[in-house]
Amino acid sequence: MATAIPAIACLGVIGRNNNPLHTTILPTTTDPQTGRPAPLRTPLQFSLLLSSTLDIFESRARHAVASNTLLSGDFGLLHAVDDRLAAYGFETNTGVKFVAVVDMRGRILSGGVKTGVTSPGGGAGTAAGAGGGGAAATGTGPSSVVGAVGLRDGELKVVFRAMQTAYVRLLQNPFYDPEEGAKAGQLQQKRITSRRFAEEMRRIGDKWVPGGVNTL
Amino acid sequence: MDDYPAGSLDHNAPLLVVSGLGTGATKPLLADPDLKEHGIPIRSELPPIDGREAKTILHYIQEADATNWSWNPTETKKHRFKIKTIGREFLLPPRRARLPEDYEVPLSPPVLHSPFSPLSPGSTLYPDGLIDARWLAKHQELIPSICLCFYSLTTDPSLATLHDNRLKTDINAVKHALSQSGHKCRLAVVILSDQAPGAMEPFQERLEHIRRGTGLDPKTSLFVLPTKRSEAELEMAADSVLSSVFTQATEYYRDLGRRTRKKKGRGVAPQPTIPPTSGTSHTLSLQGWNVRYDFKAAVFAEFRQDMEAALRSYEQAYESLFGTDVLEMVPSWSPRFNDGRLLADVIAVRILRCLFWTGQSTAAVRRWQAHRYKLSDFLDQRGRGTQNYGWQAWESRWAEVMARLIEKAEFPELEPSSLNLFRAPEKALSAERLQPWEMLHHPGYWYRIAARHTLDRRKLAYSIPEDARKPPDPTVASKMVVNTYNSYDTYMCPEPYEEYPLEGQGTNHAQKAITHLNLAIGEFQKRKQRRLAMEVALESSVELERIKAWKQLLEFLTPVWRAMSFRSENWWNLTEALSWILRKAAAHAGQADLVIAIDWELMNSQYNRRPQWQYDINKSLEGVEVEEAPEVSLNDDAITSFLESSFIFKHGEGRAGQTCPAQLAITSKAFSGSAPVVLDEIHVEFEGSLRALHLEHESDSTKLSSKPGGMVVTSPSLAETKLDVDTLPDDDSDEAPSSPHVMVLKGHDDLTIAAGQTRVFEVDIPLREAGEGKATSVRVKLAPGAFTLNYTMQLREDNSTGLWYVAPAKRRVTRINPLSIKVLPRPPKMEVKFVNVLKQYYAGEPIHIEVQLINEEDVEANTRLDVHLYGQDVPHFKAHAEDGSEDKSSAGEGEEAKLDGLIIGTIEASKSAKATVVIDPINRPTAYDLTIKAWYTLVTDPGTHIVQIVAFQLNIVNPFEASYDLVPRLHSEPWPSIFDYETVRELDDDDGSSSRPRGLAQKWCLVTRFGSFATEDLRVVDLDLQVKGTQGGVVCSASKNQTLPEDGVLMAPKTMEEARFDLVAQKLSLDDRNPSTADLEFMINWRRTSADPASTPNATTFLLDPFYVTVAEPRVLASVYYSVASSPSSPKSTTPATPSFSSASPQIIILDITIENPSSHFLTFGLTMEPSDEFAFSGAKTTSLNVLPVARRTVTYRLMPVVEGGSWIKPQIVVRDKYFQKVLKIIPTEGMKREGDNIMIWVPGQDADDEKGEETSEE
Repeated sequence: MATAIPAIACLGVIGRNNNPLHTTILPTTTDPQTGRPAPLRTPLQFSLLLSSTLDIFESRARHAVASNTLLSGDFGLLHAVDDRLAAYGFETNTGVKFVAVVDMRGRILSGGVKTGVTSPGGGAGTAAGAGGGGAAATGTGPSSVVGAVGLRDGELKVVFRAMQTAYVRLLQNPFYDPEEGAKAGQLQQKRITSRRFAEEMRRIGDKWVPGGVNTL
Repeated sequence: MDDYPAGSLDHNAPLLVVSGLGTGATKPLLADPDLKEHGIPIRSELPPIDGREAKTILHYIQEADATNWSWNPTETKKHRFKIKTIGREFLLPPRRARLPEDYEVPLSPPVLHSPFSPLSPGSTLYPDGLIDARWLAKHQELIPSICLCFYSLTTDPSLATLHDNRLKTDINAVKHALSQSGHKCRLAVVILSDQAPGAMEPFQERLEHIRRGTGLDPKTSLFVLPTKRSEAELEMAADSVLSSVFTQATEYYRDLGRRTRKKKGRGVAPQPTIPPTSGTSHTLSLQGWNVRYDFKAAVFAEFRQDMEAALRSYEQAYESLFGTDVLEMVPSWSPRFNDGRLLADVIAVRILRCLFWTGQSTAAVRRWQAHRYKLSDFLDQRGRGTQNYGWQAWESRWAEVMARLIEKAEFPELEPSSLNLFRAPEKALSAERLQPWEMLHHPGYWYRIAARHTLDRRKLAYSIPEDARKPPDPTVASKMVVNTYNSYDTYMCPEPYEEYPLEGQGTNHAQKAITHLNLAIGEFQKRKQRRLAMEVALESSVELERIKAWKQLLEFLTPVWRAMSFRSENWWNLTEALSWILRKAAAHAGQADLVIAIDWELMNSQYNRRPQWQYDINKSLEGVEVEEAPEVSLNDDAITSFLESSFIFKHGEGRAGQTCPAQLAITSKAFSGSAPVVLDEIHVEFEGSLRALHLEHESDSTKLSSKPGGMVVTSPSLAETKLDVDTLPDDDSDEAPSSPHVMVLKGHDDLTIAAGQTRVFEVDIPLREAGEGKATSVRVKLAPGAFTLNYTMQLREDNSTGLWYVAPAKRRVTRINPLSIKVLPRPPKMEVKFVNVLKQYYAGEPIHIEVQLINEEDVEANTRLDVHLYGQDVPHFKAHAEDGSEDKSSAGEGEEAKLDGLIIGTIEASKSAKATVVIDPINRPTAYDLTIKAWYTLVTDPGTHIVQIVAFQLNIVNPFEASYDLVPRLHSEPWPSIFDYETVRELDDDDGSSSRPRGLAQKWCLVTRFGSFATEDLRVVDLDLQVKGTQGGVVCSASKNQTLPEDGVLMAPKTMEEARFDLVAQKLSLDDRNPSTADLEFMINWRRTSADPASTPNATTFLLDPFYVTVAEPRVLASVYYSVASSPSSPKSTTPATPSFSSASPQIIILDITIENPSSHFLTFGLTMEPSDEFAFSGAKTTSLNVLPVARRTVTYRLMPVVEGGSWIKPQIVVRDKYFQKVLKIIPTEGMKREGDNIMIWVPGQDADDEKGEETSEE
């Protein structure tokens, strides 16, 4: 039986006014038809998922104000959407929010070799058919690939730190104005278009493994 | 959860049967007709107790029923019962099952078992079933742990024995019946007495008798309840009875549990009453029996509320169930297979509940997962796999069960008010690496998963091949049916031909999913997860769309669509996903306004282009059934459209009466390729004094470039027109104008905007009134016929404003606030001038200021003036216009005097008018500000007031300054002598009249020197000295010493003049010797040289400090006369102080030294005249002089100067008060002067140059 470990399925950057700034979707499963790595959900579903975390950011912030507890920025687990996907959050002191959606069975370890996101869960035990990824993609049956590895709240800190570093680097670009169009509240509000930032997000998402101690 | 057999999942609480309270008909416990037939009746013969107390107790006991309590140990009560109330009798189920009727009685008597056991042939479980819900129901519903019987104790002593005996008999009968039934039910008796608790003493013996007669333990099974007390106390007493009974109940279930364990301990599978003959003749294996025993033990533990023990036993049962020889032996086609699955589910649910009960929520989630995994593995290996709708149906149910369990468990951490979304893991697990899902999330999440599995179920159901979807033909061989049956998992769900039949309705998956989703939405909304609720709503609406419940969808989604935060927070993909669904629903439901609104919004190229969609707002309603053309009003607060507008005034300031160029730019961000939008009209609203701009469409295709994108600048001309308000939509009725018409600036242009195009309308906005003007909103109207759309855009400051478009490029205008303009007042062309202004204005003269108003406007102007005068102690003023209208200033209140609205009248173009302001004379130097405001309106535009303001600074100075000297003179009249009888008598005679002063008179001379401080020549017409007042009983009169020429003296600037006035002061009374003072006023009457000589001269007045005009001290006055020796005719010139004569020398100078003694003392003075080489003198060189009180004496010296004429001589005379040894100062009078302590006398020269003689003595 193959073991699955968590992997990042989606990284989102949400602006101060709850506007989406950037979304990186990473493949954590395989397409049952083509066998290629594929994201677990559609971009629309990921958007909805990121948007739903805002409720929790708001509620926690309100709670923090009420109880006068200063937020450290790391919100830890925001919520788990189901037994596979969980959202973790971080808010900078300027109100920019980073959300990491973790697929708890996003990466399959088979034979002790990390094979990334591929590996359609082979083995005798996977009678459910398409292995961990495939089964979940079609939504059928609990995977026989057991998500053996859990997560501690702090384990995504490295991700958020790396995201923040990347974001700060983006802000240092004098041509990027994070508040552009914010006043109008209308269509002009810009998303992050920097290719470098997107690549950095993808790199962070790819590189992160639970329990890793190195900075990303 | 409702899919499971009733009672199979519920939490078990001891069953308590309450008998003897109330007579109401109750539902019999045993309803099964088969069992009823052989039921064991338990009956009490005594009538039930009636009465208020009985009702109260019954009510309380029924309240204590724990059936609907939440499944957690937080309940504060010590007992937890399921309570059934009966009259006086009930049926217990038979202990032993009967033999089947057709059964031949064997040789040995058959071993009979419970009717619920798989051993009894009549049971549904026979021969190889495990256990079912009937067994659970037996213990929960049928067999009470305690039978609580209520009896009353009579107080009538005559009937006491009879009653007590009947009571005893009855109790014993019930007791016997119970024990005969074979069930281990316990009996508890409550004897109600209508006495107070303290008054029970007399009955103790009787009660003891009953106790002994029935063998009941007063601690555990016999209770006496005096009812004569308050309801609260009664409740407490009942509560304590229930608590004691509960211990009994626990014991009862413990016994049962023990028995079950004993059975299990035997380690043999019991044989059925009759060996099975039909089917496989398979009987329940030992392992199966162990499952049954463990399950029973667990349930009994649950009855005892011992959850830990229950959990252990359930786990054991679960292990055994999936272990060897139980489920794996059951073939998947057998009905026992699904029974086993059901039992597995029931056990798993009960395990979950036990975990929740003990607060192990994370363990519960893990257990939930584990059951899922276990079952999916099991089905994959032994059953029909998990790739079928039946599995998804179970998955959905399994998630829903979890949600229900969480709801029932009522964790305080998951209360909606706590706003927690999930429960922190229990302590034992908190250090582990947990899956995030293992934090127990609130039921909303679980319902959502349930819904998702329902949708998966549908997906699989839709893949059922057609032949399986045909209803089975009863005529076809059953083999086919078995085959179909074999390949589909129908555990707790319909057969494939019912799930998704070829014809007719199958399972309504969408409805199931929607139910779950709505439950989830409820949970999310309770916890303020707005966005997540919206997300679920979106999922739900997809399902509604699928089942074409358009109306429902509209009702459900329209409020979400209106208020969604996706739009305001720029989640475009979410906005459009929701909008498309809603549009479809609206189109189907004929909700035209919504269709238009959504189409209008979705034309924005920010959204994703929908393939094969015709983006044309005009054709929006094609295919939509509309009754009448709808009118839609939208604004950009609610909806973001593809049109963006900006407005700019070219200049930040303008003047009323002029025009300011302005640009209205409307940019379309529609999808390229979408049809151009033809606006019917554009209406720009302004705040402030500007008129609204109204552009109407006028088709003119030649002007516009047809290419999409780019920019087109047009400049429509504007005209002021009245616009009927009625044609305006009153979407904002709060600013409804009072008049039915509003004036607008109307223009015509082609208002077609192609996709990506920026239309710029350059207009000249006439500025009417002064003030701030600001463009606030742009409203565009579309009226293609099928509908009318009004779209209002608020004009905001953002990056696109501040641009001034100049085709083909655009130029950025660095304007801070391009939406607004400051309209300055119309520039006045009225000139206001001060004419004939004098160089300097002086105190004391009335000030005339002339103002000339020159109308330089093109037409006549109606003018009035406001005159304001500011300064300290403002005087009144008058103003009059040329034509004679005159006005006085309002009372000058301290700092300001004003005169408003002096009517000047109409001034013809390029003519002028005059007005004069006359300010009353002011007595002191000061400064005032005179402001003149000319208000006028032009006859062509009477509404606009134009103002011209001029200011004038008035500096008022004193024209003169003066200094004063008061020098003594010798009064010529003699003092009254006390030796002179005549004067004394005269005094006596006039005693009665007080008008004539009789005191001493003294004479003074006031020397005034005044200088002109004016900047021009002034003519001094007159000088005057007036005595304004005296102090100290004195009469004082002033007289002019010299006269001015007739036409006055012309004083050049900065020249000095001198004037002398004689001042005679006489005390009123001779006796009054106090010094007295006089206040004097010096007045200069003058006139400007330019002034009319006949006019009243101006008066400048100086108030002098008070002078002493009489003194009480003795004084010595020197006076001098000149006499010419050669003129014998006048040996003694009597002209004092005028040595203006020419005479031959030698001359004689006569010097008089007069000593005045106004005091009442007799004084003696010594007089010494020093010889000098300047003159020779005759007279006493040294002499003593006695002066009487109020008298004066004169010593005369004759001097003959020996110096040349025209020089001063200095006689050295010392007058000494003999008594006080004090030298008195000699005061010179006319023609003398003082040097040091001495006096000096002028010796006139030969040529009589007497200029020095003019000098007065100086003090």
